[in-house]
Amino acid sequence: MEQVLATTLRAAAPLVYAALAGVFAFRAGIFHLGLEGLMITGAFIAVAAGQAAGSALVGLLAAAAVCMVLSVLFWWVIGPLRADAIIAGLGLTSIGLGGTAYALTAIFDTRGTIFTEVVLPRPVRGVTEGWGVVVSESSILVWLMPVFVLASWVVLRRSRFGLRLAAVGEYPFAARSAGVDPSRMRLWALLIAGALCALAGAELSVGALRNFTENMTNGRGFIAFVAVIFGAWHPIGAAAAALFFGLADAVGTQSQINITEAVPREFVLMIPYVLTIAAVWLGGLWRRRSLEASAGYAELRAPDD
Amino acid sequence: MRALQDVNLDLAAGRIHALVGQNGAGKTTLARVLAGLQVPDRGRVWMMGREIPGGNVRAAQEAGLAMVHQHFSLPPSFTVAEALELTAARPGGRPVYRRGQLERRWRREVAGLDGIPSLSARIRDLPVEARQSLEIVRASASQARVLLLDEPTALLTPSSTESLFERLRQLPDDGITVLVVLHKLREVEEVADTVSVLRDGRLILDAVEMEEVGQGRLSDAIVGPARAGGAAVFEGTAPSSSSSSGGGRVHLRLKGVSTAGFSAEVGLQEVGLHVEAGEIVGVAGVEGNGQRSLVSAIAGLSGVEQGEIHIGGEEAAADPPARRRRRGLRLVPFDRYTEGVSSSAPLWLNQSSLRLVQRSGVRRSVVSVRRLRASAGQALDRWRVRYQTVTQPASSLSGGNLQRLILSRELDEGVEILVAAQPTRGLDFAAAEFVRRALVGMRDIGAGVLLVSSDLDELFEMSDRLLVMLGGRITAEFRPPYDRRAVGDAMTGAVR
Repeated sequence: MEQVLATTLRAAAPLVYAALAGVFAFRAGIFHLGLEGLMITGAFIAVAAGQAAGSALVGLLAAAAVCMVLSVLFWWVIGPLRADAIIAGLGLTSIGLGGTAYALTAIFDTRGTIFTEVVLPRPVRGVTEGWGVVVSESSILVWLMPVFVLASWVVLRRSRFGLRLAAVGEYPFAARSAGVDPSRMRLWALLIAGALCALAGAELSVGALRNFTENMTNGRGFIAFVAVIFGAWHPIGAAAAALFFGLADAVGTQSQINITEAVPREFVLMIPYVLTIAAVWLGGLWRRRSLEASAGYAELRAPDD
Repeated sequence: MRALQDVNLDLAAGRIHALVGQNGAGKTTLARVLAGLQVPDRGRVWMMGREIPGGNVRAAQEAGLAMVHQHFSLPPSFTVAEALELTAARPGGRPVYRRGQLERRWRREVAGLDGIPSLSARIRDLPVEARQSLEIVRASASQARVLLLDEPTALLTPSSTESLFERLRQLPDDGITVLVVLHKLREVEEVADTVSVLRDGRLILDAVEMEEVGQGRLSDAIVGPARAGGAAVFEGTAPSSSSSSGGGRVHLRLKGVSTAGFSAEVGLQEVGLHVEAGEIVGVAGVEGNGQRSLVSAIAGLSGVEQGEIHIGGEEAAADPPARRRRRGLRLVPFDRYTEGVSSSAPLWLNQSSLRLVQRSGVRRSVVSVRRLRASAGQALDRWRVRYQTVTQPASSLSGGNLQRLILSRELDEGVEILVAAQPTRGLDFAAAEFVRRALVGMRDIGAGVLLVSSDLDELFEMSDRLLVMLGGRITAEFRPPYDRRAVGDAMTGAVR
């Protein structure tokens, strides 16, 4: 039981951070399918920069900085350049996955895994019995999860910033007539999302493990996006959905049932993507419904929005 | 082409100024420039002696300007308190709040407004009038010195318009200056101290005192000398139907029709009505009382739960829209841009789409695009649509021209019954008059017309009979001469 909980928390932590990133973007009206790419970039930079500086925290900060720069690029492409956000997001994911794999061969001259001695602080260590097992060996980022979830809730649901962001996502004309620049708000949302994705990636590489492996995110960015939709783009809901996916993962590992014997491995690998398609479909359905619910707005919408 | 050209306008403080003009005259552009939503190419704006930098919403707000938009500016999923907090620039708000705190903060402003059950109600659940009042609350809560209203009466019933004007008249007592964009001359006379007129982006009348202008001079200024031909257009373009339809023949009949709600509006409840050949039947009602359900049920866009719909004497409740149209049903829908045309499709395709559906004049399965384009162009010319080429997208037309395109398509030889939903909403005087003449022309050649409108003056002027919808039912029927007050009472369900 304790072991299942411990595995759940560790499996869920990257998902929770990435899901919070997705919620920030979604609130600003952006379907962020670049979460995966930002996560893998964060994981790689955390190891590479952390190893170079000899500190995992420095690695973490460097990862956040790089992911935020990539987020600015993403914003520039879908904002001023008017590209489709879903396509550009998938492009961002390709850049992340391909770029880190390339950097692995170009810088470290290996095609598989690089190891590191640095690791994020682990407040409790070496407990092997009782409930302490749940948090033993967990990185600081696992401990901080509730803080980030709660902070996101306050920012998104109980602050002026959150109101403005929601207005930008739902009805940009309202935001503009309130003196809010929708483009700038989207940039803020994407910057926050970039930093959160860096945390998610760093938790994978220097939090739970001490290495970076090619494609180590393995679809987690897409699962996180699914959690955003299933959690109704609410920070607490999305975090709960992410925890549930973590639990499913943990139960699968713990019960020693090798699902791949019954089902071809390829089908198991498909699950994140199938769930993502379902989530995009659900998201579209919701948009249409909310448009119909606000009938009368459609015809009154300002022509330039 | 410029939306505004060398406009110099001085507005005295503490008075109500009206701004009028046709569609496309530049009224909304002027309002947007003042509010900082649009950067002018040239020219400057001063408010209370302070210059406002162009295109800066915040600076305009800080100088004391508040704007009430023609388009609602409150996000539908927000609660009343959240929407006010978002849009009202009032100092004292904290960056982080609690729900209860927010609602206490805005309670006083909302007290006494009709149609707002609580501060946690969602904007999308509020009736149109309540949304409109909230827009004004939002503007006045920002302690504005100058209040700018862009066509605030477009969606209001007569009684709501009256109470809006009462509020406006009190504002100058507090030293607030009001600039209000209006469409109807009657409303200008009712509320304004001075009037300014824009035509083709130029200022024709510059804040002239209301006592000094007569209605005649005002409408001349609005329409301009060269545009007087509008009335003559319809002559000769009316399709010379064989007028086989004798008077008294019923073209459209609904018996006990009930439907589910249509796009968040109440459904119909046992609605019965009929439209005979050669009459215009008006449908009045506060918006959202089943008008959309009615039109979509007749057009075949939504299903009927029970009851009968006869079109041209035959039961048609189960027929798809195309078959209803072949029986002579024609439709001018509520929303021109999204329902009336495919706005991304070219003009010629929009113009000939009905003929393609009905296969009239297009006998073979292979069609000649060249011939369709040519005949569409002729039809557009006949209806005096202003366009550059038949291949431009429909979205590039202004509202009035788009409505002409729709009429040119719908009012062909086969029309027996025309359902016109808000056919003149948002159109300028000349375009609205043109549409009304077209409807009267249809009646005179023996078609039946069902006119759904929220403009009571229009309904009184046009209707041979007037039905009132309330809560999905037809609750009253009037015949001329109409009593404005009695109709208004029937619309609101008031008992005096």
